[in-house]
Amino acid sequence: MDLSVLERVNWLQQQQMVSPDFFEILGSDGREELKRVESYLGNNNDEMQGFRHYETIDGCISRTSSFQMEQVKNNEENRVIALQPKRKTEGKTEKIENKKKKIKTEDETESSMKGKSNMSNSETSSEIQKRDYIHVRARRGEATDRHSLAERARREKLSKKMKCLQDIVPGCNKVTGKAGMLDEIINYVQSLQQQVEFLSMKLSVLNPELEFHINELSTKQFQACFTDLPEAVSKQPMMVDASSFPLQQHGSLDYSLINSNQTTILSSQKDQTSSSWEIHSQCLYNNLRTDSVSSFFSHK
Amino acid sequence: MAFAENHINTDVPEKDVFALHFLQTLSNLSTQNPFSSPDKKSDRVKKIKKAAYVSMARAAGCTDRLWSRALLQRAAKRNNKIVRFPRRRKRVTWLRRRSNRRDPVEEAAAERLRNLVPGGGEMKTSKLMEETAHYIKCLSMQVKVMQCLVDGLSPK
Repeated sequence: MDLSVLERVNWLQQQQMVSPDFFEILGSDGREELKRVESYLGNNNDEMQGFRHYETIDGCISRTSSFQMEQVKNNEENRVIALQPKRKTEGKTEKIENKKKKIKTEDETESSMKGKSNMSNSETSSEIQKRDYIHVRARRGEATDRHSLAERARREKLSKKMKCLQDIVPGCNKVTGKAGMLDEIINYVQSLQQQVEFLSMKLSVLNPELEFHINELSTKQFQACFTDLPEAVSKQPMMVDASSFPLQQHGSLDYSLINSNQTTILSSQKDQTSSSWEIHSQCLYNNLRTDSVSSFFSHK
Repeated sequence: MAFAENHINTDVPEKDVFALHFLQTLSNLSTQNPFSSPDKKSDRVKKIKKAAYVSMARAAGCTDRLWSRALLQRAAKRNNKIVRFPRRRKRVTWLRRRSNRRDPVEEAAAERLRNLVPGGGEMKTSKLMEETAHYIKCLSMQVKVMQCLVDGLSPK
């Protein structure tokens, strides 16, 4: 807990570490002086109270004029807007001074951490510290106070993401401005969802009984297009080797699932010829990673 | 301007992953109710649509994305199942909420987007953009898969 100097002395006195003579030595002038020193350091009582409840999170807050916040573990949210004192391009040096701002509680933005590092430490190095800091350079003629910098950083983050979206959504290049682009994006998402609904209606019409026809599909496809595959044509129950499939990122878990399902089905219906279509469906699952099936889905 | 890291990653797995998940979900659909045949068309359509979304969410990475988690949770809630995901630390402190969504110009459009993208109600606007990008990619992949399936199944 950070206390004012006077409080500290009082506390010490209570703990009887300071003799009561101390104050006598100080005299009334001494106390005045203490108070003056207090005000000189900046009577931070109001502000200290403000972020007292951050202490646990932020670590030690020292009262010196240059303080540095300890880095909290979560890297994403610890972006400190550090000011670079040098400018490359412009001749006019619009110097950004070292900001020794105290922590203000209500001015936190998502991109700024809970304090600012004193630039005197890092002023010597003109390189960009790639730890946890977002370095924002104030352009010529723009405000350099902390809020607008944070705001600008946030806006740039957003615009970067909007550019990403612009690449994905077709037809976004023609529209300029955030609102128009967002409208385009919304329309695109809506159209995609409508397409999904429409296609699912079509599928339901085509497949009154889903499983059967899917397996029908597999036999048709294999017989029509991929007869050169020896595994597809054979009607013998296949022993599935789960380890032979290359594990891919998201489907790997389900591969093992499917394979275990298949082995059970296969073992239960070994000798029924009517289940050949099921075996073919197993072939479909087994060979989904081979080029044949992937080309089935990429043909049309 | 230099940023510390580029944190936009919208990679989407290949088509076969989506196809695999979709087919698996579809076959699960029919094995779920072996004795009752849904006579109504709308029921079947709804089931297929739900299967499409669920399989898409699974194929895209169950817990990696906010929208997929929200989708799966919503689907599980309808079935009265409780799905538990490993809880991610969501540090939106009271400070950040104030400065989260400030710009009123884009706010109206972002609101509509939030209604469309599953799980969008709670995200920050920048996070919403990322999720939308990934969601759009996955949706388009799913549409392609379904189109292929329909083409393959339609009578020639």
